[in-house]
Amino acid sequence: MHIEYGRFLFILCLLPAAARGDGSSIDKVYHPYVEQLEWELEWRLTHADENPLTGTKGEQKHRFGLGRAVSEFVFIEGYLIAEDSAGENFDLAAYEFDFLWQLSEQGEYSLDYGLLLELEKTHNEDVWEFSTTLLLEREFGRFSGTANLGVEYEWGEGIQDEVETSLALQTRYRYSPRLEPAVELYTGEDTLGVGPVLLGMERLGPMKALRWEAGAIFGLDSDTADYTLRAVLEYEF
Amino acid sequence: MKGKQYALLGLFLVSTLAAAKTPVVELEIRNHLFHPEEVRIPANTKVKLIVYNRDATPEEFESYELNREKVIMGGRKANIFIGPLKPGVYPFFGEFNPKTAQGRVVAE
Repeated sequence: MHIEYGRFLFILCLLPAAARGDGSSIDKVYHPYVEQLEWELEWRLTHADENPLTGTKGEQKHRFGLGRAVSEFVFIEGYLIAEDSAGENFDLAAYEFDFLWQLSEQGEYSLDYGLLLELEKTHNEDVWEFSTTLLLEREFGRFSGTANLGVEYEWGEGIQDEVETSLALQTRYRYSPRLEPAVELYTGEDTLGVGPVLLGMERLGPMKALRWEAGAIFGLDSDTADYTLRAVLEYEF
Repeated sequence: MKGKQYALLGLFLVSTLAAAKTPVVELEIRNHLFHPEEVRIPANTKVKLIVYNRDATPEEFESYELNREKVIMGGRKANIFIGPLKPGVYPFFGEFNPKTAQGRVVAE
Protein backbone atom coordinates (compact mmCIF):
# COMPACT_ATOMS: atom_id res chain seq x y z
CA MET A 1 0.00 0.00 0.00
CA HIS A 2 2.73 2.45 1.01
CA ILE A 3 4.80 1.45 -2.02
CA GLU A 4 1.78 2.02 -4.29
CA TYR A 5 1.13 5.41 -2.68
CA GLY A 6 4.78 6.37 -3.11
CA ARG A 7 4.72 5.33 -6.76
CA PHE A 8 1.55 7.34 -7.40
CA LEU A 9 3.04 10.45 -5.77
CA PHE A 10 6.27 9.97 -7.72
CA ILE A 11 4.37 9.87 -11.02
CA LEU A 12 2.34 12.92 -10.06
CA CYS A 13 5.49 14.81 -9.13
CA LEU A 14 6.98 14.09 -12.54
CA LEU A 15 3.91 15.21 -14.47
CA PRO A 16 4.20 18.97 -13.88
CA ALA A 17 7.53 18.97 -15.66
CA ALA A 18 5.71 17.81 -18.79
CA ALA A 19 2.77 20.15 -18.40
CA ARG A 20 2.85 23.41 -20.30
CA GLY A 21 -0.26 25.20 -21.52
CA ASP A 22 -1.38 28.63 -22.71
CA GLY A 23 -3.68 30.92 -20.68
CA SER A 24 -5.07 30.15 -17.26
CA SER A 25 -5.84 26.48 -16.90
CA ILE A 26 -7.58 26.89 -13.53
CA ASP A 27 -11.01 25.33 -13.99
CA LYS A 28 -12.03 22.12 -12.29
CA VAL A 29 -10.68 18.62 -11.69
CA TYR A 30 -12.56 15.87 -13.50
CA HIS A 31 -13.06 12.37 -12.10
CA PRO A 32 -12.94 9.28 -14.34
CA TYR A 33 -16.43 8.02 -13.49
CA VAL A 34 -19.84 7.94 -15.16
CA GLU A 35 -23.12 7.38 -13.36
CA GLN A 36 -25.50 5.66 -15.73
CA LEU A 37 -28.92 7.31 -16.31
CA GLU A 38 -27.67 10.61 -14.89
CA TRP A 39 -28.61 14.04 -16.24
CA GLU A 40 -26.76 17.08 -15.04
CA LEU A 41 -27.27 20.83 -15.06
CA GLU A 42 -24.08 22.71 -14.25
CA TRP A 43 -22.93 26.24 -13.55
CA ARG A 44 -19.23 26.83 -13.15
CA LEU A 45 -17.38 30.05 -12.38
CA THR A 46 -13.78 31.19 -12.23
CA HIS A 47 -12.94 34.70 -11.06
CA ALA A 48 -9.35 35.94 -11.35
CA ASP A 49 -8.43 39.10 -9.45
CA GLU A 50 -6.15 40.34 -12.24
CA ASN A 51 -4.75 38.70 -15.35
CA PRO A 52 -1.00 39.49 -15.17
CA LEU A 53 -0.60 39.03 -18.94
CA THR A 54 -3.33 41.51 -20.01
CA GLY A 55 -3.83 43.60 -16.87
CA THR A 56 -7.57 42.85 -16.96
CA LYS A 57 -9.12 43.04 -13.52
CA GLY A 58 -11.93 40.83 -12.27
CA GLU A 59 -11.86 38.42 -15.18
CA GLN A 60 -14.74 35.94 -14.90
CA LYS A 61 -15.66 32.89 -16.90
CA HIS A 62 -19.09 31.26 -16.52
CA ARG A 63 -19.95 27.86 -17.93
CA PHE A 64 -23.56 26.72 -18.23
CA GLY A 65 -23.75 23.02 -19.03
CA LEU A 66 -26.30 20.31 -19.69
CA GLY A 67 -25.02 16.75 -19.61
CA ARG A 68 -26.28 13.22 -19.81
CA ALA A 69 -24.88 9.71 -19.34
CA VAL A 70 -25.62 7.99 -22.64
CA SER A 71 -24.32 4.58 -21.52
CA GLU A 72 -22.73 2.84 -18.55
CA PHE A 73 -19.36 4.38 -19.39
CA VAL A 74 -19.99 7.51 -21.50
CA PHE A 75 -21.15 10.95 -20.39
CA ILE A 76 -21.64 13.86 -22.79
CA GLU A 77 -22.13 17.51 -21.93
CA GLY A 78 -22.64 20.75 -23.86
CA TYR A 79 -21.64 24.16 -22.51
CA LEU A 80 -22.26 27.81 -23.22
CA ILE A 81 -19.29 29.84 -21.98
CA ALA A 82 -19.69 33.50 -21.06
CA GLU A 83 -17.11 35.99 -19.86
CA ASP A 84 -17.06 39.35 -18.17
CA SER A 85 -14.63 41.53 -16.27
CA ALA A 86 -14.51 44.83 -14.41
CA GLY A 87 -15.88 47.42 -16.85
CA GLU A 88 -16.89 44.82 -19.44
CA ASN A 89 -20.34 43.40 -20.03
CA PHE A 90 -21.29 39.77 -19.52
CA ASP A 91 -21.12 38.25 -23.00
CA LEU A 92 -21.24 34.88 -24.74
CA ALA A 93 -17.67 33.81 -25.47
CA ALA A 94 -17.62 30.20 -26.66
CA TYR A 95 -19.37 26.85 -27.02
CA GLU A 96 -18.02 23.53 -25.82
CA PHE A 97 -18.85 19.86 -26.20
CA ASP A 98 -17.44 17.27 -23.78
CA PHE A 99 -17.22 13.49 -24.11
CA LEU A 100 -16.17 11.66 -20.94
CA TRP A 101 -15.31 7.98 -21.28
CA GLN A 102 -14.83 5.82 -18.16
CA LEU A 103 -12.16 3.30 -19.12
CA SER A 104 -12.04 1.04 -16.06
CA GLU A 105 -14.30 -0.06 -13.22
CA GLN A 106 -13.63 1.91 -10.08
CA GLY A 107 -11.14 0.03 -7.91
CA GLU A 108 -10.44 -2.72 -10.45
CA TYR A 109 -6.83 -1.72 -11.08
CA SER A 110 -4.26 0.20 -9.06
CA LEU A 111 -5.44 3.35 -10.88
CA ASP A 112 -8.89 4.22 -12.25
CA TYR A 113 -8.76 5.51 -15.82
CA GLY A 114 -10.90 7.81 -17.89
CA LEU A 115 -10.59 9.96 -20.98
CA LEU A 116 -12.08 13.40 -21.53
CA LEU A 117 -12.41 14.80 -25.07
CA GLU A 118 -13.39 18.48 -25.37
CA LEU A 119 -14.16 20.56 -28.47
CA GLU A 120 -14.51 24.32 -28.03
CA LYS A 121 -15.32 27.04 -30.55
CA THR A 122 -15.00 30.74 -29.83
CA HIS A 123 -18.21 32.68 -30.47
CA ASN A 124 -18.19 34.68 -33.75
CA GLU A 125 -14.54 33.82 -34.44
CA ASP A 126 -12.78 31.07 -36.36
CA VAL A 127 -10.95 29.83 -33.27
CA TRP A 128 -11.17 26.16 -32.31
CA GLU A 129 -9.66 24.05 -29.55
CA PHE A 130 -9.66 20.29 -29.17
CA SER A 131 -8.28 18.69 -26.04
CA THR A 132 -7.69 15.17 -24.84
CA THR A 133 -7.28 14.69 -21.11
CA LEU A 134 -6.27 11.51 -19.33
CA LEU A 135 -8.12 11.19 -16.01
CA LEU A 136 -6.47 9.13 -13.27
CA GLU A 137 -7.72 8.47 -9.77
CA ARG A 138 -6.77 6.31 -6.82
CA GLU A 139 -8.08 5.79 -3.31
CA PHE A 140 -5.87 5.79 -0.25
CA GLY A 141 -8.28 4.91 2.52
CA ARG A 142 -10.44 8.01 3.01
CA PHE A 143 -8.18 10.03 0.71
CA SER A 144 -8.57 10.18 -3.07
CA GLY A 145 -5.90 11.45 -5.44
CA THR A 146 -6.89 12.62 -8.93
CA ALA A 147 -4.79 13.75 -11.89
CA ASN A 148 -5.98 15.35 -15.16
CA LEU A 149 -3.25 15.38 -17.80
CA GLY A 150 -4.33 17.25 -20.92
CA VAL A 151 -3.05 17.94 -24.42
CA GLU A 152 -4.80 20.73 -26.36
CA TYR A 153 -4.60 21.74 -30.00
CA GLU A 154 -5.74 25.21 -31.09
CA TRP A 155 -6.39 26.21 -34.68
CA GLY A 156 -8.32 28.62 -36.89
CA GLU A 157 -8.04 31.92 -38.76
CA GLY A 158 -8.02 33.97 -35.58
CA ILE A 159 -5.29 32.10 -33.76
CA GLN A 160 -1.85 30.67 -34.32
CA ASP A 161 -2.03 26.89 -34.47
CA GLU A 162 -0.33 25.37 -31.46
CA VAL A 163 -0.25 22.42 -29.13
CA GLU A 164 -0.41 22.96 -25.39
CA THR A 165 -0.49 20.78 -22.31
CA SER A 166 -1.96 21.17 -18.86
CA LEU A 167 -2.11 19.35 -15.58
CA ALA A 168 -4.51 19.50 -12.65
CA LEU A 169 -4.12 17.55 -9.41
CA GLN A 170 -6.50 17.11 -6.53
CA THR A 171 -6.09 15.43 -3.16
CA ARG A 172 -9.45 15.03 -1.44
CA TYR A 173 -10.37 13.81 2.03
CA ARG A 174 -13.73 12.04 2.11
CA TYR A 175 -14.82 13.40 5.48
CA SER A 176 -18.56 13.19 4.80
CA PRO A 177 -20.85 13.43 1.74
CA ARG A 178 -21.70 17.02 2.70
CA LEU A 179 -18.13 18.20 3.17
CA GLU A 180 -14.90 17.07 1.60
CA PRO A 181 -11.82 19.28 1.96
CA ALA A 182 -9.32 19.13 -0.87
CA VAL A 183 -6.14 20.74 -2.17
CA GLU A 184 -5.76 21.40 -5.91
CA LEU A 185 -2.82 22.30 -8.09
CA TYR A 186 -3.04 23.63 -11.66
CA THR A 187 -0.14 24.05 -14.02
CA GLY A 188 0.29 25.16 -17.64
CA GLU A 189 2.41 27.59 -19.64
CA ASP A 190 0.77 30.62 -18.01
CA THR A 191 -0.50 28.93 -14.89
CA LEU A 192 1.01 27.65 -11.69
CA GLY A 193 -1.36 27.77 -8.77
CA VAL A 194 -2.36 25.83 -5.71
CA GLY A 195 -5.06 26.24 -3.12
CA PRO A 196 -7.78 24.80 -0.90
CA VAL A 197 -11.16 23.66 -2.20
CA LEU A 198 -14.26 22.43 -0.41
CA LEU A 199 -16.66 19.98 -2.05
CA GLY A 200 -20.02 18.66 -0.96
CA MET A 201 -23.22 16.95 -1.98
CA GLU A 202 -26.79 17.27 -0.76
CA ARG A 203 -29.08 14.39 -1.66
CA LEU A 204 -32.51 15.54 -2.78
CA GLY A 205 -34.09 12.16 -3.57
CA PRO A 206 -33.54 9.10 -5.77
CA MET A 207 -31.09 10.12 -8.50
CA LYS A 208 -31.42 13.75 -7.44
CA ALA A 209 -28.55 15.58 -5.82
CA LEU A 210 -26.96 18.98 -5.61
CA ARG A 211 -23.17 18.99 -5.76
CA TRP A 212 -21.05 22.04 -5.08
CA GLU A 213 -17.39 23.00 -5.12
CA ALA A 214 -15.78 26.24 -3.95
CA GLY A 215 -12.14 27.15 -3.67
CA ALA A 216 -9.36 29.68 -4.03
CA ILE A 217 -6.28 28.96 -6.13
CA PHE A 218 -3.27 31.15 -5.38
CA GLY A 219 -0.75 31.98 -8.09
CA LEU A 220 2.78 30.74 -7.53
CA ASP A 221 4.46 32.62 -10.39
CA SER A 222 4.25 36.03 -12.07
CA ASP A 223 2.09 34.76 -14.98
CA THR A 224 -0.71 33.51 -12.74
CA ALA A 225 -3.34 35.70 -11.09
CA ASP A 226 -2.62 36.29 -7.39
CA TYR A 227 -5.82 34.44 -6.64
CA THR A 228 -8.53 32.76 -8.66
CA LEU A 229 -11.82 31.89 -7.02
CA ARG A 230 -13.64 28.94 -8.47
CA ALA A 231 -17.10 27.53 -7.86
CA VAL A 232 -19.27 24.75 -9.28
CA LEU A 233 -22.95 24.01 -8.76
CA GLU A 234 -24.36 20.84 -10.28
CA TYR A 235 -27.90 19.55 -10.15
CA GLU A 236 -27.99 15.84 -10.90
CA PHE A 237 -31.25 14.18 -11.82
CA MET B 1 0.39 -19.94 -34.06
CA LYS B 2 1.86 -16.57 -34.97
CA GLY B 3 3.72 -14.29 -32.58
CA LYS B 4 0.80 -11.91 -32.26
CA GLN B 5 -1.51 -14.75 -31.28
CA TYR B 6 1.01 -15.96 -28.65
CA ALA B 7 1.10 -12.42 -27.27
CA LEU B 8 -2.70 -12.29 -27.10
CA LEU B 9 -2.81 -15.70 -25.41
CA GLY B 10 -0.18 -14.57 -22.91
CA LEU B 11 -2.10 -11.39 -22.22
CA PHE B 12 -5.28 -13.39 -21.70
CA LEU B 13 -3.56 -15.79 -19.30
CA VAL B 14 -1.99 -12.97 -17.31
CA SER B 15 -5.30 -11.13 -17.06
CA THR B 16 -7.04 -14.38 -16.09
CA LEU B 17 -4.47 -15.09 -13.38
CA ALA B 18 -4.75 -11.52 -12.14
CA ALA B 19 -8.53 -11.82 -12.04
CA ALA B 20 -8.29 -15.19 -10.28
CA LYS B 21 -6.54 -13.55 -7.34
CA THR B 22 -9.53 -11.37 -6.56
CA PRO B 23 -12.17 -13.17 -4.44
CA VAL B 24 -15.66 -12.96 -5.90
CA VAL B 25 -18.84 -12.51 -3.87
CA GLU B 26 -22.27 -12.54 -5.48
CA LEU B 27 -25.42 -10.86 -4.30
CA GLU B 28 -28.82 -10.20 -5.78
CA ILE B 29 -31.43 -7.48 -5.81
CA ARG B 30 -34.92 -9.01 -5.66
CA ASN B 31 -38.13 -7.13 -4.88
CA HIS B 32 -35.97 -4.08 -4.07
CA LEU B 33 -34.03 -5.96 -1.38
CA PHE B 34 -30.41 -7.09 -1.30
CA HIS B 35 -29.85 -10.83 -0.85
CA PRO B 36 -27.91 -11.45 1.31
CA GLU B 37 -28.12 -8.26 3.30
CA GLU B 38 -24.80 -8.94 4.95
CA VAL B 39 -21.71 -9.70 2.90
CA ARG B 40 -18.66 -10.97 4.77
CA ILE B 41 -15.30 -10.48 3.12
CA PRO B 42 -11.68 -10.80 4.22
CA ALA B 43 -10.16 -7.58 5.53
CA ASN B 44 -7.28 -5.96 3.66
CA THR B 45 -8.22 -7.81 0.46
CA LYS B 46 -9.70 -6.48 -2.74
CA VAL B 47 -13.02 -8.22 -3.51
CA LYS B 48 -15.16 -8.29 -6.64
CA LEU B 49 -18.87 -8.03 -5.92
CA ILE B 50 -21.12 -9.28 -8.70
CA VAL B 51 -24.53 -7.75 -8.16
CA TYR B 52 -27.44 -9.26 -10.11
CA ASN B 53 -30.51 -7.11 -10.40
CA ARG B 54 -33.41 -9.59 -10.73
CA ASP B 55 -35.98 -6.79 -10.72
CA ALA B 56 -37.28 -5.22 -13.91
CA THR B 57 -36.38 -1.71 -12.76
CA PRO B 58 -32.93 -0.20 -12.33
CA GLU B 59 -31.27 0.11 -8.95
CA GLU B 60 -28.16 1.89 -7.78
CA PHE B 61 -25.70 0.26 -5.40
CA GLU B 62 -24.45 3.13 -3.30
CA SER B 63 -22.13 3.47 -0.35
CA TYR B 64 -20.20 6.53 0.75
CA GLU B 65 -18.24 4.35 3.16
CA LEU B 66 -17.15 2.09 0.30
CA ASN B 67 -16.80 5.06 -2.07
CA ARG B 68 -18.93 3.34 -4.71
CA GLU B 69 -21.95 4.30 -6.83
CA LYS B 70 -23.09 1.97 -9.56
CA VAL B 71 -26.38 1.79 -11.44
CA ILE B 72 -27.53 -1.73 -12.32
CA MET B 73 -30.19 -1.85 -14.97
CA GLY B 74 -33.17 -4.19 -14.56
CA GLY B 75 -32.31 -7.81 -15.39
CA ARG B 76 -28.58 -7.01 -15.62
CA LYS B 77 -25.52 -7.46 -13.44
CA ALA B 78 -22.65 -5.21 -12.44
CA ASN B 79 -19.13 -5.77 -11.18
CA ILE B 80 -18.15 -3.64 -8.20
CA PHE B 81 -14.62 -3.81 -6.86
CA ILE B 82 -14.25 -2.92 -3.19
CA GLY B 83 -11.35 -2.83 -0.78
CA PRO B 84 -8.81 -3.54 0.50
CA LEU B 85 -10.83 -2.61 3.60
CA LYS B 86 -9.82 -2.35 7.23
CA PRO B 87 -11.87 -4.58 9.57
CA GLY B 88 -15.25 -2.98 10.11
CA VAL B 89 -18.83 -2.62 8.89
CA TYR B 90 -19.54 -0.69 5.68
CA PRO B 91 -23.23 0.00 4.94
CA PHE B 92 -24.64 0.19 1.41
CA PHE B 93 -28.10 0.87 0.02
CA GLY B 94 -30.12 1.05 -3.17
CA GLU B 95 -30.61 4.67 -4.09
CA PHE B 96 -33.94 4.05 -5.84
CA ASN B 97 -35.36 2.19 -2.82
CA PRO B 98 -33.31 3.41 0.13
CA LYS B 99 -35.85 2.39 2.78
CA THR B 100 -35.91 -1.27 1.80
CA ALA B 101 -32.74 -1.97 -0.16
CA GLN B 102 -30.12 -1.86 2.57
CA GLY B 103 -27.14 -4.01 3.35
CA ARG B 104 -23.67 -4.05 4.78
CA VAL B 105 -20.22 -5.35 4.01
CA VAL B 106 -18.42 -6.80 7.00
CA ALA B 107 -14.65 -6.92 6.57
CA GLU B 108 -13.05 -9.29 9.09
